[in-house]
Amino acid sequence: MTDLLLLLPVLIITSGAILLMLLAAFENVRDEIACFGAMVIFLFGFCMQLFGLGQGDARIFSGVFNEMLVGNSFTAVAGLIITACGFFTCLSSHTYFKQNRFITSEYYALTAFAASGMMLLTMAQELITAFISLEIMSLAIYVLVGMHRRNIKATEAVLKYLMLGAFAGGFFAMGSALMYGGTGSTKFAEIAGFISANGFFASSILVVGAFFILVALLFKIAAFPFHAWVVDVYDGAAMPVTGFMATALKTAVFAVFANFLILDGGLQASWVEYLFYIAVFTMFGGNLIAIGQNSLKRMLAASGIVHSGYLLIALVAFTSRDFTANVIVFYLAAYAVATMGMFAALSYLSGEDEQRITFDDFRGLAKVRPFSAAAISIFLLSMAGIPPTVGFMGKFYIIVNAINAGQVLLAVLAIVSSVISMWYYLRLIITMYFHEARDDFAVAKSPLAQATTFFLVFCVFALSLLPVSV
Amino acid sequence: MIADYLILSIILFCIGILGVVSRRNVFTVFMSIELMLNAANLAFIAFSRLHESMDGHVLAMMVMAVAAAEAALALAVVILLHKHKSKLDTNMFSLLKG
Repeated sequence: MTDLLLLLPVLIITSGAILLMLLAAFENVRDEIACFGAMVIFLFGFCMQLFGLGQGDARIFSGVFNEMLVGNSFTAVAGLIITACGFFTCLSSHTYFKQNRFITSEYYALTAFAASGMMLLTMAQELITAFISLEIMSLAIYVLVGMHRRNIKATEAVLKYLMLGAFAGGFFAMGSALMYGGTGSTKFAEIAGFISANGFFASSILVVGAFFILVALLFKIAAFPFHAWVVDVYDGAAMPVTGFMATALKTAVFAVFANFLILDGGLQASWVEYLFYIAVFTMFGGNLIAIGQNSLKRMLAASGIVHSGYLLIALVAFTSRDFTANVIVFYLAAYAVATMGMFAALSYLSGEDEQRITFDDFRGLAKVRPFSAAAISIFLLSMAGIPPTVGFMGKFYIIVNAINAGQVLLAVLAIVSSVISMWYYLRLIITMYFHEARDDFAVAKSPLAQATTFFLVFCVFALSLLPVSV
Repeated sequence: MIADYLILSIILFCIGILGVVSRRNVFTVFMSIELMLNAANLAFIAFSRLHESMDGHVLAMMVMAVAAAEAALALAVVILLHKHKSKLDTNMFSLLKG
């Protein structure tokens, strides 16, 4: 029964996705109906995931799935973040596609498919399960990125993403093959057992395999040497899709990264030195890119790289299994709330064919739409880590975790980086508040994206009150 | 004997990487990626023999299925690109410069 409860959210989202895809074949099922259907599915999945939250640690159907899937509070919270992101993406898509007419009803089915892949990814305890769920997620996301078929920018983005994503996928497959060769198993637990018995550097095949998998995962989270694609792909994708990628996809990949590296894989000790430099370069490289951007979407993409850097700190500074896992999911939730809110606001403010997209286009927004401007400011302050927001609490736990683990230098660098990141967050706030409006900021008739934005403002404050157990 | 298969697999993988990095034609790039995945399959089968378990065979089948799905999507993208520019040279697509 526990097993079923833990697996139920994935089952709901997956069967909902299949149902939506079948319904999309009918001509009288319009995109609005598909949108509401997807919302119901995500909401249902979210509630089921809430029930699964207190169910403890279990290998889901270990007889049937051969211990390939695991369910615990870590995967349950990650699942909550993913289903919530899917729900809010549907809401903001509804408004967005009133002004950008390139929707087909398959869009929502693909969102649900991507979400099901992500949720499987968080539960994966085995390399090939991880590979397959990674590809389920990626293939759906590729299509979503290239949804606007007449737009050459979207086509270029999907070409770039598909080429590099499949390249990383090849690395992941080869890495799993080599790890299978080195240890005789692809399960995280057995790999960890092999490493603790024989040492990591005993088998050179294992070292190369782990390196390949690390490369693939670093690519997916857009960490330092493999970060260049993210700005272009986010720029080319539609606004709600970008929001979905920035939040849910990052949550899923970080969850499997954490599972693989520290929680079950036991690989962390061998990689900590290199991950230290990757985390530092990711933070500062992302900042450097973000400062130079003029488009809001590109700036948010680059700031996503910086946030990946903070999350990598939590992977480097490993204190205890529970606390580090809590810190990681808390930061992921904090980042997801603010980023999702930003993209929901941009979904309705960007106007027809995404005409308002640069910093200058948002001059004087506070004069015309004071509430929207205030909401955006709160999201930006949360991302920058200003006290009463959830973003501050997230950074606080990351830094506490780093200091507890003895990585004081890393904690200091994280603070320096978040001070630098103030530059481009405050720049937008200044543009919105201290200039005269030249635009009337007309928005679509659908109120759903506005509702999402203001609900997420509430979440920014409400989530910061959640305690994280040490 | 196993070592020979492994060396072949690594050679295939390297050819794949080289193709992705150096070729400019979209088709050739996607073919190179398929080569990388198939190199992984060969390694799986070889290791399966080494460990005398059937796991590797199953895993190779899974990778094949994923590769097929990816190829279908890649072909769709190729058609899309051809509609826009009537060429499949990756240098032609440079609107997004990060």
